[in-house]
Amino acid sequence: MSLLEVRDLHVWFDLPHGSPVHAAAGVSFALDEGERFGLVGESGCGKTTTVLALMGLLPPTATLAGEVLVNGRSILAGGEDSVRAHRWTDVAMVFQGAMNALNPVKKVGWQIAEPMAFHGVARGAAARRRAGELLELVGIPAAAGERYPHEFSGGMRQRAAIAMALACQPKILLADEPTTALDVMVQAQILDLLTRLSSELGLALVLVTHDLPVVAQVCDRAAVMYAGEIVELGPMDALYHAPRHPYTRMLFAATPDLYGEGKVASIPGTPPRLDRDIAGCAFRPRCDSAFAPCAGEHPELSPVQPGHEAACHLTRQLAGEGSPA
Amino acid sequence: MTLPLQDPQLATETGAEPSRRSGFLRTVLRERKAAVIGLAIIVFFIVLSIIAPYISPYSITQQTCAVYAPPSAAHWLGCDDGGIDMLSEIMQGGRISLIVGFAATLVAMIIGGGVGILSGYFTGAVDVALMRVTDYLIVIPDLVFMIVIASVWGASLFHVIMVIGILEWTTTARIIRAQVMSLRERVYVKRTRALGAGHLRIIGKHILPQVGPLLMANTVLTIAIAIYLETALAFLGLEDPTVTTWGTILEHAFERTAISSGAWWAIVPDGIVIAVLIAGCFLFGQAIEDALNPRLKVAHLSVRRWRLRPLVGRGPDAI
Amino acid sequence: MRGADYVIKRGFFAIVTIFVAITINFFLFRVLPGSAVTDLSRVPHASPQLQHALTVEFGLDKPKWQQYFIYLAQLAHGNMGISFAYQQPVSQLLIADLKNTIPMVTVGTLAAIVVGVATGVLSAWRRGSPPDHVSTNAAIFAYAFPTQWLGLMLLILFAGTLPAGGMENPFVFGTEPFWPHLGDIATHMILPAATLMLTAYGSYTLVIRSALLETLGEDYVLTARAKGLPHRHILWRHAMRNAMLPLVTLVALDLGLIVGGALLIEVIFSWPGIGLAMYTAIGQRDYPMLQGGFLILTVSVILLNFAADLLYFRLDPRISQ
Repeated sequence: MSLLEVRDLHVWFDLPHGSPVHAAAGVSFALDEGERFGLVGESGCGKTTTVLALMGLLPPTATLAGEVLVNGRSILAGGEDSVRAHRWTDVAMVFQGAMNALNPVKKVGWQIAEPMAFHGVARGAAARRRAGELLELVGIPAAAGERYPHEFSGGMRQRAAIAMALACQPKILLADEPTTALDVMVQAQILDLLTRLSSELGLALVLVTHDLPVVAQVCDRAAVMYAGEIVELGPMDALYHAPRHPYTRMLFAATPDLYGEGKVASIPGTPPRLDRDIAGCAFRPRCDSAFAPCAGEHPELSPVQPGHEAACHLTRQLAGEGSPA
Repeated sequence: MTLPLQDPQLATETGAEPSRRSGFLRTVLRERKAAVIGLAIIVFFIVLSIIAPYISPYSITQQTCAVYAPPSAAHWLGCDDGGIDMLSEIMQGGRISLIVGFAATLVAMIIGGGVGILSGYFTGAVDVALMRVTDYLIVIPDLVFMIVIASVWGASLFHVIMVIGILEWTTTARIIRAQVMSLRERVYVKRTRALGAGHLRIIGKHILPQVGPLLMANTVLTIAIAIYLETALAFLGLEDPTVTTWGTILEHAFERTAISSGAWWAIVPDGIVIAVLIAGCFLFGQAIEDALNPRLKVAHLSVRRWRLRPLVGRGPDAI
Repeated sequence: MRGADYVIKRGFFAIVTIFVAITINFFLFRVLPGSAVTDLSRVPHASPQLQHALTVEFGLDKPKWQQYFIYLAQLAHGNMGISFAYQQPVSQLLIADLKNTIPMVTVGTLAAIVVGVATGVLSAWRRGSPPDHVSTNAAIFAYAFPTQWLGLMLLILFAGTLPAGGMENPFVFGTEPFWPHLGDIATHMILPAATLMLTAYGSYTLVIRSALLETLGEDYVLTARAKGLPHRHILWRHAMRNAMLPLVTLVALDLGLIVGGALLIEVIFSWPGIGLAMYTAIGQRDYPMLQGGFLILTVSVILLNFAADLLYFRLDPRISQ
């Protein structure tokens, strides 16, 4: 049984006029303890929606389908009220731009300690002490807990947010673009910190980002999302060196590698609208390898190798497989 | 942090970008019901004021019914203590009230506009000095100040107009100053090369037209305040008691024991029309201000929740 | 310490504004034409000795600029002249009146804040629903009705059941025991304070509503929700905590409205406060009282604004940066 299992997750957002937007379609993946998993794609591909859905943090205009299982227990089945007990204790999150994720008029230490009482982890002086320990764990002196967020630098705020996320000893940590808006030096430090915490504490990590070198540095496995669907899922190495979906290939080609070598190519075109049904493959208009079946038939995720799946007709054909299983 | 999709429900509440003046107004009216209602109310009262002398059922200078006669078929709103028809009084009184409101606002706009332009355009010491003066004026309580000035100066409509105008220009000044400053940055660089293209020209041709929508909102709100203050000053006896305005109607009712005579009709309708007009001004002005400050924000917390849908079959096509 | 800078700056501003108010007062009543009428020594029916004493006290025979400094000196001693109508020191009379005004205004304003916060939170929490529309429109209308009209309406509706005027039962002679006396004043205070509440709460509702809608969209609210905190806790400890800041600013800014409203209310309910004193002074052409009243009310507002600045500073740790 996996620590985290996402089964066929769908998210729709209602619009005031017109059909709902299908922001996440059939997202499925699984994680074990200590695994570091990346979720990559362009903006609007559904990766942030997916991680927010994992914790039930969606607005009233959202409709969900599918299951999110933590240690085999479905946490979304009871709606907002029942998922609350699992927040922070099972799954915690570090948001993009921690500058704003912290309440400006409350001391940082207080904010770290706040959820501990509600989840029965610690209260009062014990909670404050624990908050101090967490700050030390992420490389900030415990005394800094008496300060306010605006007194911290950007990098420190992100560290504090990580410390805060660990307050109730979650098993799974979701990090949504944790290094965007930070300078390169600080980025590297934060990524190191996340990697270290994952190894030392056995935390499963889901890292959401559009920044491929970041994923490459931290994650063992990753899923590439496009138009709300996972189009390829597999080990980092395989995605990088032997991608099986044209989008993955073009995505990695469009980014200079870690050492700044190689050409920068961009992918022409824009992602499709998600408020309409898409016939066939969503990536077809921008794909350089599209052929006959792509227009009519929707490609399903199918195994390429053990632990490596891709949703592409071309890949399936090249692998010599027949009709979908 | 943003959701890939902002709550679209809120997107339409913000209205369109203010591109051009007339286009902007039309967009605001189209998108916000409050603006339409507000504007309709304002227009209604303006029209009413203009035609009041022609459509008011009775004269307001001649007694046409008994003292404090209650509402009847002949006199829909009854009569006041002088036997004058209440409905006619309200119609024609509204005329004067509106004139006072507009005139006082005009004075406020002129002063505020002048201060704002000088402050914003010349900046430096001029700006600091003028803004200090503005700050002092804002802190000093306006009605009390007006009472003191009016009591020394004398009770008359003109004095009331001037007194309101002299103390209510501060918001206008700040708005215009902000606009002028932001525009000055753009225009100044261009025009440094032009040979002393007069300041007046720059102000008139480039700065004033851009300030339109915000100024319109501010004007409407200032008119509301002016009408409100007029009723207060009239109530305290600082307006010419021989003139009929919405304010003096209330003052007469209070002074001449309308309550103990049970003549609620001398009080209630008057207050209602004042409130309706002021509320209308507020709705319209506020709608414009809201449209200029779009707030595209999701509500992370609300009474309503996201919904769970049971899956029928597997795969996206199954939904 | 950076915080001290802010306090000093605002304190300095308060002091300067007080001086500006004093100067305006002097200018209006002593410099402008018509100051012959407002001349402090022209107490009607005053004995020549009194007139002479006043002339010396305020240097009325000296040049204007000298008079100004003498005026400042006299103010420092709390001397604001003699009331034309009551033949008594203005400061004595007004301080006594002020003591009556303060409780009524305090009760009314606090009630307005409570009602405004409650309705504002309701509106924001249930945004777009019927309760929101009712609450918001009620606030707009309450704000739009003239204060004096609201007072008259309450009089019409409750004149039978609640005292319609004055601060205490005029028919009780001698010293009444403390608690019944207090109760008597309290019942008399209900209608005036209720009028003040109705006239002032509307703008608080709207500010809280918009401030709360703003804060409910902030990232830290989503973070609080992600932490699994109960919604009520998030609303009050996170969102409202931030939404209160604009309210503090508004209450301070609106003090002019409250003072004006209190004035009108005291007139309607014959509440023996500083507002009624000023109103009476208008009719009696009692210029020293008007001068004094203006000064006291203005200085009060300035000091309250300064207090609000301090409160804001306490509430928002970002200010000291």
